[in-house]
Order: sequence, then structure tokens, then C-alpha cells
Amino acid sequence: MAELLAVDELRAGYGKAVVLSGVSLSLAPGEALAVLGRNGMGKTTLINAIVGVTQRFGGRIRLDGRDITALRPDQRARAGIGWVPQERNIFRSLTVEENLTAVARDGPWSLAKIYDLFPRLAERRQNFGGQLSGGEQQMLAVGRGLIVNPRVLLLDEPLEGLAPIVVDELMRALRRVIRDEGMAAILVEQNARKVLSVTDRALILERGSVVHAGDSAALRANREVLEAHVSVAQARPERARQPAVSN
Amino acid sequence: MLTILFDGIAYGMVLFMLACGLSVTLGLMNLVNLAHGAFAMAGGYCAVVLVNRLGVPFLAALPLAFLASALIGLAFERTLYRHVHRKSHLDQVLFTIGLVFMAVVAVDYVAGSSQVFVQLPDYLQGRFTLLGVGIGRYRLLIIVLCGVIAVALQLVLMRSRFGSRLRAAVDDARVAQGLGINVGGLFAATFAVGSGLAGLGGALGAEILGLDPSFPLKYMVYFLVVVTVGGTSSITGPFLASLILGISDVAGKYYLPDLGAFVIYTIMIAVLIWRPQGLFARAAAR
Ligand SMILES: Nc1ncnc2c1ncn2[C@@H]1O[C@H](COP(=O)(O)OP(=O)(O)OP(=O)(O)O)[C@@H](O)[C@H]1O
Ligand SMILES: [Mg+2]
Repeated sequence: MAELLAVDELRAGYGKAVVLSGVSLSLAPGEALAVLGRNGMGKTTLINAIVGVTQRFGGRIRLDGRDITALRPDQRARAGIGWVPQERNIFRSLTVEENLTAVARDGPWSLAKIYDLFPRLAERRQNFGGQLSGGEQQMLAVGRGLIVNPRVLLLDEPLEGLAPIVVDELMRALRRVIRDEGMAAILVEQNARKVLSVTDRALILERGSVVHAGDSAALRANREVLEAHVSVAQARPERARQPAVSN
Repeated sequence: MLTILFDGIAYGMVLFMLACGLSVTLGLMNLVNLAHGAFAMAGGYCAVVLVNRLGVPFLAALPLAFLASALIGLAFERTLYRHVHRKSHLDQVLFTIGLVFMAVVAVDYVAGSSQVFVQLPDYLQGRFTLLGVGIGRYRLLIIVLCGVIAVALQLVLMRSRFGSRLRAAVDDARVAQGLGINVGGLFAATFAVGSGLAGLGGALGAEILGLDPSFPLKYMVYFLVVVTVGGTSSITGPFLASLILGISDVAGKYYLPDLGAFVIYTIMIAVLIWRPQGLFARAAAR
């Protein structure tokens, strides 16, 4: 199968600290990959290194056969990398609609299509980013990643810290984006159960290295590997994050 | 009384032109640019040369002064400033204060240390009385022109896509860049426009503020007051801060001439004790 995204022996981190010590992965068009691993194992660093906002120490990244390693983050985004950051990072002084239009690029994912995917955002279109609930912020972050019309969408723990009912709503939307619309995606999660049914393949990170890579379905059945490297429990401690609603 | 108010507003409008670029670059890139006044001075001297030496009509010299300062700003940004974006504030202060001294000495060498004026055309001189208020023609021009520009800036910032991209970059430069916004280019463009507006302010304000080589040093304090009091998150903050500063400075010098500049410092200290984030800072930003 043709390769859409290829990461080759990527070494990256912050300042002088190396967090990822040689991670490789590849993604075919329309394929979805789960990236699993416990707290602090380097999942976000991997995503951010593909986006281009970490320090790179080595390795290469290719998108559609084109080497994008030397490109700035904004050039990578225009080349086709879509990003849904873990902290959501909604632009607070922009309205919901401006959050979308400010980064929009031509393509199938139009404003109307995003609103169709998340009707809640259409209702809140004139509200400012800082006035949204956590779930709405996450929907906006996903919509904002989509409206860049990327070749591949990188989602960093999109279900983190959300109420179960919102998680269901988001999973339905993500299933539609990935399965029905065929968007290639990398989906980071700590909780394997939630995402392995949506993805084709999975990869487990531990202390900056890949310790398992394979089929999603096979991994779902493999309790031994899951228990060794990933949290399978339903409940997990809520981590501190920026408050969803402020002012 | 109303005449003082009128003069104060004109003065404040000029301060706004001079300082608004500074507040945007400070908010966008966290760049402390003490040399902002040097770009204003460049616009002022540009107008002096164009009008007094080359006989360019005054109203035509204003956009040219804008353009000249914008181009100089752009050139400095792309060659020098880009290297200090990620440096500490102390490095930025030392670097830009160095630029100020170089600009002061360079202008002194080329143009001499005496104060210069732009020759105003006849139709802009003198006053007329409207409803008992003495209105200077030139100050009226300043108020109208700067008022229109302030409204235009606000519209661009709040309504255009360029404005929303700029605000996004101010909110979170890292994420804005990761989502395809060329923050460096946006900053260079903003820096150029801010320098251009300062140049326009320098050209317009030469008459009111006086123009000599020490201009960037003399008015540095005023710019910083506008930025600290007005905040860096909007256009309206610096705008209102400029008006307050302009009116209180004119009124202070008229009613309390012995106190001189202390009037504005007293007001600034009072405001900052009352609202340490600045008068118009967004509540709990970030
Ligand atoms: N900005 C930073 N500067 C320095 N070190 C960092 C920074 N961000 C993360 N780290 C370190 O890098 C390592 C990997 O962090 P990373 O955020 O990639 O983990 P993660 O798998 O995404 O964890 P989580 O599930 O908590 O989001 C951790 O040891 C962390 O302490
Ligand atoms: Mg993470």
C-alpha cells in the first residue's frame, strides 16, 4: 500500500532533553493508527514532533513522499498535517466561528460540514473560545484541525477529561470522520478500550520507544500486552488541566 | 476649558498613533521594542525633508512618511529584530536602547541637534471658534485623521481574517503556527504597519511634540505609559490610555505648570495601584 505518512527513527525532545529515542511509524491513506501508552511515555512529544513544535535531534518525516523534516510548523500544516493538541488550546479571544475561519484552507471540510458534524458549535458560533465547556472546546479543537483540510489528522487524547455522554458524542463524530470520510488519523489515547475499535493498527510507546506495533483487533484480544503497557481500567485518575470554563 | 480638552484629545490621538504599533508588537511577540520612537522620528524627519526641502504638499507627505517608516521597520525586523524574538527581555531592552542611541546620534550628525518643524500650509494654520470653543485647524485635522485610522484599525483587527489570525497568534503563537499561520510573516507585517503608524504620528506630531534628535528618548516614557496602562490585548485599551494621558498632560501643564510632567506620573501610579494589569486588560487573561 502507498505510504501517506512515514516517520523514520525520529529523535525529539525539549531543550537538551531527548524524550523520543528513535520512533518509526508509517500510515497509509485512509488508515487510522492508535498510539497508546501511560502517562509521560512520550505520546504528546511524538505528535508535537510531527507537527514540528519540539526540538528535533534526528530522524526524518515524509508526507506523501515529500520530505517535510526541514519545514516550519506552519509549512507542515499547509503540506497536510492537521493537529488537535492535547490541551485543546482554543484561541480565547476569537469566537467559535473565527477559531475555524482563521485557519481554514480550501478542501472538502468546509465550515458548513464542520457545523454538520458538531451542531453544538453552530449554536455557539458567536461565543468566544473562553466561554465554552470542556466538551465544546474539544469539538472545536477537532473541527479546527479538520478545517485545515489535512492529509492526516493527529488527535492527542481527544477524550481526556470529558463526561461519558460527551465521550460517546465525540467517538461518533470521530468514527464518522475516520471510517466514513476516510480521513487518515493518528489517535493518541491512554485507555485502549475506547479507541481500538476505531483504528486499524496500534502502537504502544514506553519511555520514548515503540514496544509494540500491530493490528488493532489483535491487540484488543491480547490482554497480556495491554496489561503490561497500557491502562485498561475504565476509571483513571483525573489529571489537573486548565479549567474548561473561565471568566 | 473646552479648548484644553480639545487640545488634549489631539495630543492623545498623536500619542495613540505613536504607541499603538508598540502595544501590538509587545502583545504579539512579547518583544520589548524601546526603539519604537526612533521609527516615529524617522517619519517626522522624512516629512520635514519632503515638505520643507522638496516642496511636497503636506497632505501628500503624510502617507509617504508612513511608507518610509514602514519600510525602515520592515528592513530592521527582517535583519535585526528577528534575532532577538526569543531572547530575554533584558537582551531586548539592551539591544533596542542601543538602537535608540545610534538613531539619536545619527540624526544629530545628519540633521543637527536643533528642533525642526514641518511647514504647515496656510489652510491648516490658525483657529476658529465654534460654540465658544477655540478650535485649531491643525488639531482638528489630527483628531479626524487619527480617529478614522483608529476605527479602521479596530475594524481590521476585529472583522477581517487577517485580524483574527493576528489575534490567534497573540493568544497562542505556538498553536497558531502549528495550525498553518505563518507567525513570523504576520509579525513582520504587523511590525511594519506599527512602525509606519509611528512614522505617521511623528510627522503629524512634529508640530505639537517638537522634533529633535532626542525625540525617541523624550517620548519613550509616554509610549510605555500608554502600553502599561492600556494593555496589549486590544486597540481600544491603548486608545483610551492615550486620550487620558494626552488630556491630563495638557491640562496638567496648563493648570499646574510647576508640577510639569509629574501629573501624568501621578495618574499612572494611581491607575497601576488600582488596576495592576492595566486599565483595560482582559480579566484573568491566560
Ligand atoms: N515542555 C516540556 N519540557 C521538558 N520536558 C517535557 C515537556 N513536556 C513533556 N516533557 C517530558 O517529556 C516526557 C514525555 O512527555 P509527553 O507529554 O510526551 O508524555 P505523554 O505520553 O503525552 O503523557 P500524557 O499521557 O500525560 O499526556 C515526560 O517525561 C515529560 O516530563
Ligand atoms: Mg500527552
